[in-house]
Amino acid sequence: MAWWKFLLPKRASGRQLDSELRFHIEELTEANIAAGMSPEEARRRAMLEFGGPEQIKEELRDVHRVPILETTLKNLKWTLRLLRKSPSFSVVVILTLALGIGANSAVFSAIDAVLLRPLPFPDGDQLMKFAQYNTKAHNSQPFIAPLRVEDWNRMNSTFQAIAGYYAENASEISGPLPEKLTQAIVTPRFLKVLGISPVLGRDFSSQEEHFGGPQAVLISDRFWRRRFAADPNVIGKRIVLSGFRSSYLIVGVLPASFRFPDNDVDLWMAGPPDAPYAQSRESTWYRVIGRLKPGVGLEQARANLDAVQSQLGKQYPKTDADLVVKIQSLKETIVGGARKSLWLLFGSVSLLLLIACVNIVALLLARAAHRQHEISVRFSLGASRTVLIAQLLTETFLLASIGATLGLFVASGASHVFRSLAADLPRLEEIHLDWRIVIYSLVCSAVVTLLCGLLPALRSTRQGISGSLAQNNRTQVSSRTPLQWLLVGIQVALAITLLSGAALLLRSFQALGRVSPGFEPAGILTFRISGSYGETADWEALTQRINGTIEELRSVPGVEAAAASATLPGVPTNYPTELRFVEGAQDPRHKSEPHFRAVPNRLSPTGQFLEPVSINVVVNRSFADAFLAGSTVLGRHVQVLENPFIKPDQAGEISGVVGDAREEGVNHPPSPTVYWCFGAPGGPDAVYFVRTRTAPMSLAKTVREKIRAIEPARSVFDISPLQDHIDEAFAENRLRTVLLTFFAVTAVCLACVGLYGTLSYSVNVRRREVGLRLALGALRAQIVKQFLLQGLGVSFLGCVAGSVLAAAFARLLSGMVYGVSPTDVVTLSGVIFLVLVVAGIASLVPAIRAARVDPMQVLREE
Amino acid sequence: MPIEKSDLLQGTLDLLILKIVALGPVHGYGISQRIRQISKEVLQVQQGSLYPALHRLEKRGWLEAEWGQSSNGREAKFYKLSAKGRKQLASEESNWNRLAGAVAQILQTAD
Repeated sequence: MAWWKFLLPKRASGRQLDSELRFHIEELTEANIAAGMSPEEARRRAMLEFGGPEQIKEELRDVHRVPILETTLKNLKWTLRLLRKSPSFSVVVILTLALGIGANSAVFSAIDAVLLRPLPFPDGDQLMKFAQYNTKAHNSQPFIAPLRVEDWNRMNSTFQAIAGYYAENASEISGPLPEKLTQAIVTPRFLKVLGISPVLGRDFSSQEEHFGGPQAVLISDRFWRRRFAADPNVIGKRIVLSGFRSSYLIVGVLPASFRFPDNDVDLWMAGPPDAPYAQSRESTWYRVIGRLKPGVGLEQARANLDAVQSQLGKQYPKTDADLVVKIQSLKETIVGGARKSLWLLFGSVSLLLLIACVNIVALLLARAAHRQHEISVRFSLGASRTVLIAQLLTETFLLASIGATLGLFVASGASHVFRSLAADLPRLEEIHLDWRIVIYSLVCSAVVTLLCGLLPALRSTRQGISGSLAQNNRTQVSSRTPLQWLLVGIQVALAITLLSGAALLLRSFQALGRVSPGFEPAGILTFRISGSYGETADWEALTQRINGTIEELRSVPGVEAAAASATLPGVPTNYPTELRFVEGAQDPRHKSEPHFRAVPNRLSPTGQFLEPVSINVVVNRSFADAFLAGSTVLGRHVQVLENPFIKPDQAGEISGVVGDAREEGVNHPPSPTVYWCFGAPGGPDAVYFVRTRTAPMSLAKTVREKIRAIEPARSVFDISPLQDHIDEAFAENRLRTVLLTFFAVTAVCLACVGLYGTLSYSVNVRRREVGLRLALGALRAQIVKQFLLQGLGVSFLGCVAGSVLAAAFARLLSGMVYGVSPTDVVTLSGVIFLVLVVAGIASLVPAIRAARVDPMQVLREE
Repeated sequence: MPIEKSDLLQGTLDLLILKIVALGPVHGYGISQRIRQISKEVLQVQQGSLYPALHRLEKRGWLEAEWGQSSNGREAKFYKLSAKGRKQLASEESNWNRLAGAVAQILQTAD
């Protein structure tokens, strides 16, 4: 028999029953013939003796029937009756599970949407992202020259297609006010790589992808609805964009779910690879993606592209010889950063569910003790153990299912929580409740049923207990409940683990708040002004425009100073690069990588703005100490080897040394930094800073109006105080800190409920004993002390076990904590102290209740 | 006069079946024949009781069943005692002996 048949209930097949009974009749017939009857007579007598075979067969089927449906219904009916009879028990269990399963499903919904599912493109797992790495300058460059994109696409044999894109902001000026849009400039094959086709209209034609061809755009569903009210005749209309100041024909509308490369892209336009301005192999334009051919692995693709690039290196030794291609899965580049935080949260929330389960096991055990009598009676009436266990498990399952259903409401709120706590979590918009989460919740409740229900069910149906029918438990003086206390200890240990993790994150958060960034972010308003990379064709004009804007901003009343920069200080971004000193024999080239920032008119750490000087470089203290210790600093010249914004032959003269600032984020120690003060930092897309005398946002409107007055075709966007940007940079940190703290506090509450419940139960069981002792002269204080110490003792043991677990948990947190050691003794002792205090309070209530027992009343109950 | 099933004590049939099967693998017809022969025609088991009882015992795991050839070459279902059934037989047998002994005692003493 195949092994799996053991899993199915055995059923007697009709054919087997038939042949078994027929055999009997034939034997009888033969015996009759042997006794001298005629065959007909023999058969008739045999049938008569045998009785109705159909009736017997029916009876046999009854023997084999497994009444699954009836039993389940009966069990459910029973369960409902029991739940109604003990509503407080049911409510506690259901709410505990709703929270436990709900929170678990919620975090799982985020993990599922962000990490587990493929990207929302057809065969999203075939999508890869490219970067070029310069082996001489040791820097990785995500922006690739258009010519190289075309070369890669033409020469490789492992990708269906390779395409490039970059996003920039633009202003659409056919309306009354310029509207800030995000536009993506894409190479040919962009939609093909992503496997997307327009829902309305068509992709770019090949003429539109050539230089000098018709100007066309694809628009997003969002823009289509916002600007054209979802007009089905939008194809063929035109929009006018500033920057190029030309009008574009709308040729297609892309699906609503398509939001690539950014969530807020409004239009896509073709970047012609044959444009004269796109012919430099040194330019850095496109981010590059490719779609693997079916069945091709990442390693194979890497080897293929390495071969392609080395061939290009021979062909173009000057520009391509030092480059190697880096390929990574596109999904990894998008979600990789969030992985650790999300799994950490999932681990924590699973610990929380485990605590909830342990809590419920303790509750069920206490309840089973109350139901001992009922179970004994049912045993003696002939119920089998299997039937009773099934009944008890049905009860737990019903509770778990109700809890899981309520938990779905918790989970459905999850995306809101994630949205408000971590607005920049990748793929955030894909988190929502769907059937996968419902199934996950159901599986959770099944697992919970087994986890919570099996042990109490097995224990309470032990044959030994069934023998207790005759035993009158009123004569019992004291019952020991070691298992319940073990469970309490486990809960405390797990709660300590979570709480110490949360405490570490909270302390790092606090430590981050105390760090002085080295600059004063308060009172600074930041914003951006739309600009196109097309402007970089005339760098002089671009520089003049940006300088002009800054001059105008300085004249605004209430503005103390104004400046622009390529990046936001205190927000994690950097441009590591390699520099060399022009003079000084000892170091033609530095091995380490000083930090580069393109910053003109930069605010210095003292809060003053540096005046623009033609080629002016300011270094920070770390840089001076690291590379120029003991030699003159001022007047030295540095050259940059490879940077998109500075020409290699342009040298900068060090005109000052400023104090260290935490430019790369408040949690990063300052690194050696060179501030380059030149015209257009970061190209056309600079960040503007305005130091205000009043609250930064109070000047927002004035600034907008000023820009509108001098640059009517440009839109102002991203306008917010610098402090907000710095806070946002820690959104993921905040997400895990807030959620882990919430889980930990819940865990401690659950553990206390468990402790309280178990101690109350123990007090209840031992009332007679306490009454007797009081009657014999025991002091009430002794009784309180005894129960209090019992609760505290178990909690203490839990704390000891928890500290070990916490140490293991802290390892997972390394890299997430800042300013505090993962094995910080102060944090751990604080957590233990807190838990012991709370445990003491939870024990005190039942302990006092025990001491209040009235001896006379208890003895009378006997 | 033969005693029919309804007159048998509840549970006695199970004991008889277990005892017969303990002698070696046997089919349903064989069991009914042997009960009749050994009891010298006093006990007659109705097929309507025999087969449900056999299947019940099989389901409880006291009997194991196997299809095989009967002495005259027909396909028949043979029952044999399982280890669990052997234990059950021993305990039922001793129960029965105690009961029978007790009843006999009362009958004698009350005379």
